[in-house]
Order: sequence, then structure tokens, then C-alpha cells
Amino acid sequence: MTSVSSAAQSKRRNLIYILIALFSLCGLADAIYLTIEHITGQSVRCTIIAGCSEVLSSPYAVVAGYPLASIGALAYFSVFSLAILALFGYRIAGQLLPLLAIAMCLVSLWLIYLQAFVIHAFCQFCLISAAVTFVLTGLAIVLWRMK
Amino acid sequence: MAATFLVRLRQPSLQLWYETNADHMKRILPFIIILLVLGVAVGSAYYLKRSATDVHPVTNTNGVAPTTAPITASTGSVPGAEPAHTLGPTNAPVHLEEFGDFECPPCGLLHPILIQMHGEFGDRLQITFREFPLVPAHQHAIAAASAAEAAGLQGKFWEMHDLLYENQKNWHETFDVRPIFEGYAKQIGIDVERFKQDINSEAVAQRIFQDGKRGHSLNVKGTPTVFMNGREIPFESLPAEKLRVLINAELSGSK
Repeated sequence: MTSVSSAAQSKRRNLIYILIALFSLCGLADAIYLTIEHITGQSVRCTIIAGCSEVLSSPYAVVAGYPLASIGALAYFSVFSLAILALFGYRIAGQLLPLLAIAMCLVSLWLIYLQAFVIHAFCQFCLISAAVTFVLTGLAIVLWRMK
Repeated sequence: MAATFLVRLRQPSLQLWYETNADHMKRILPFIIILLVLGVAVGSAYYLKRSATDVHPVTNTNGVAPTTAPITASTGSVPGAEPAHTLGPTNAPVHLEEFGDFECPPCGLLHPILIQMHGEFGDRLQITFREFPLVPAHQHAIAAASAAEAAGLQGKFWEMHDLLYENQKNWHETFDVRPIFEGYAKQIGIDVERFKQDINSEAVAQRIFQDGKRGHSLNVKGTPTVFMNGREIPFESLPAEKLRVLINAELSGSK
């Protein structure tokens, strides 16, 4: 009975790792797009959809000389890597995953605060990234509670 | 699951290979997946960057790219408002055509660069400004474009253009911009009463509409978008030092 429930839990955990990997790929695609837009200046240009030019041309869009979006891309790639490693039984990866997801969630909350109260503009791609991070954090918390 | 897979393996050599390498494969497979994703990510980033930085030739309605001939009313399918607001002589070898929005911060940053280029290249450069107010992104974009065009009806387009860009930060978060723009009208010495009427006139609305139509026909998606002799300049080439190089290259090519 115990082994059956343990197997079921393991299956559920693997499913969550797969979901995390898939969502982090969505976040990675979004962050790569934003990085390239930032580097080439396409999003810095004003468009009919308001927000991204204001957000990406703000001083908060660059950290230590690197576009913030590129750091986001690195974070999503790390989440993906950890989820894949955890799926294949690397326990340390499974333990690091929730920590990274929560850190990303906190950064996303800070960025939403900046957009709402400091820059006074929302960038839709940044909001997509925040939404992905919140989903990842939710899944990571479910994982944490399963342990 | 692995056992079922093993049973399905009919060929003894494959089965032997799997038995020998299954553990090894399981250990390296996640790294292979991670490297594959890394490769795809880097590849797509490279592709996106390349496609974003290509210089896009303007095509007319027949899909034919124009030559390096100066921008004329025939470049693109729609001529835009006539007469266009230009700086510099019509026969200048290099023509820059800017589609701008007075409320757009990057357009405000481009403004001193274009003024600088105008000063540096003099008669060898003609600059045309086209209205491309981004609605609904910028709440005062139409009002600002109308103010510039209304001043233009009294022959002071560029004076109002300069004031709007130079003071962009002062008015773009203001609720009611009319008194500010009327103040600018007074500052540049035009008839303020006529300016107030012209701002809402059909003539002004038509000019903005015609420029917008030209922008759409040239596939302008945002501002600032600048064309040099009919070819779109990538946004990243708009800083002064890069733009200067492009103009010089165009000048040496036109000799």
C-alpha cells in the first residue's frame, strides 16, 4: 500500500517537474524575445501597445550593464535544467528548484511594483514573464509540500 | 517500464547495448536535453537578432525595392501630407524621413541627434518629419501632432516641433495639455486664436491622417522609424555616431 502511494506520489512529482520544465521554456522564450528586443532597440521604440518602450528604456531594465531580460532568460534556463535533472533523479536539483522559483517570484513582484508605481507603465511581455514565474512558484510550492 | 522496453527489443545486439549503457544513458540524457535546449535558445536568439538588425528595403505596391534614389512622393504607395515638413534642400543626396510621435520618449531622444546631423551635413541632407501619433498608447499624441500641424499652417512647424520634443517631459503626464501648447504657440510668435481654431480643423486632421497612411503603407510599426533614401534604418543604428557613419556611406555611394 505504501509503495503504491509512494509510486503515485513519485509519478505526480515527475508530472510537476515536466510542467515546470514546459512553463520555464515559455518563460525562456519570452525572456529571449525581450532580450533581443532590448539589445536591438526594437521594444525601446514606441508602439501602438503602450508600455514596453517606457519599461525597457527605464534604468531598471539594466542590471550591471546587462539587460534584465537576459538575466531572466538565464534564470528560466536554470529552472528548466533543474527540473530536467530532478526528473532524472538528481535530488539536489529538486531541492534547489523551489528556492530559485521563490527568488524569481520575489523579483517579479518587485518588477511589477516598479512598473505600477515608479515607471507608471506596464510591458505586456514583462507581465507574461511574471505570470510564468507565479505559475512556476505555485508548482514549486506543491513540490515542496509533497516532500 | 525499462523492463517492458527491454522485452520489446528484438535484436540481441541492441538489447545488449541497452543493458550495458542504460544506466550511463540515464545519467547523461538530462544533460543532452539541457544542451539541446541551450542550443535552440542560442540559435533562436541569434536568428531573432539577425532578422531585427537587417536593413529593410522599402517596397512599393508592386513589391519592387526602390533604388538609392532620394525619397520622393512615389516611394511607397502613399505620398503622405503635402507639402511635407522638411529641413534641407530637396536635391540633397541623402534624405531622412522620420515617422515620429511627440509623446514617444525615444523620439525625444532622437530629436537632438537629427538636429545635430542637420547641422553637420548641411545641404547634403534633407530631413522630413511625418506624423505617426500612437493611439491609444500615448494619450496626448494626437493633441501634440495637431499642435505641430496647426503651427505649421502659420509657417512655424519646426519651431513647435522643437518645443514639443524639448519639453516632452513637462507635458506628457499633464492632464490638460491645451494651455501648455497654447503657451508654446505664444512663445513662437504665432496667432494663438487662429492656432486654437486650427488645432481642431479638418486641414490639420487630414495632414496627420495622410502621414499615418504613408507610414502604414511603408509598414511602420512604431516610432521613431527612420528611412534613409527609402531604406529603413535599424533602430540600433540611430545613435549619432552610427547614423553619421550611415549617412557618410550613403554620401560616398551617391557620388
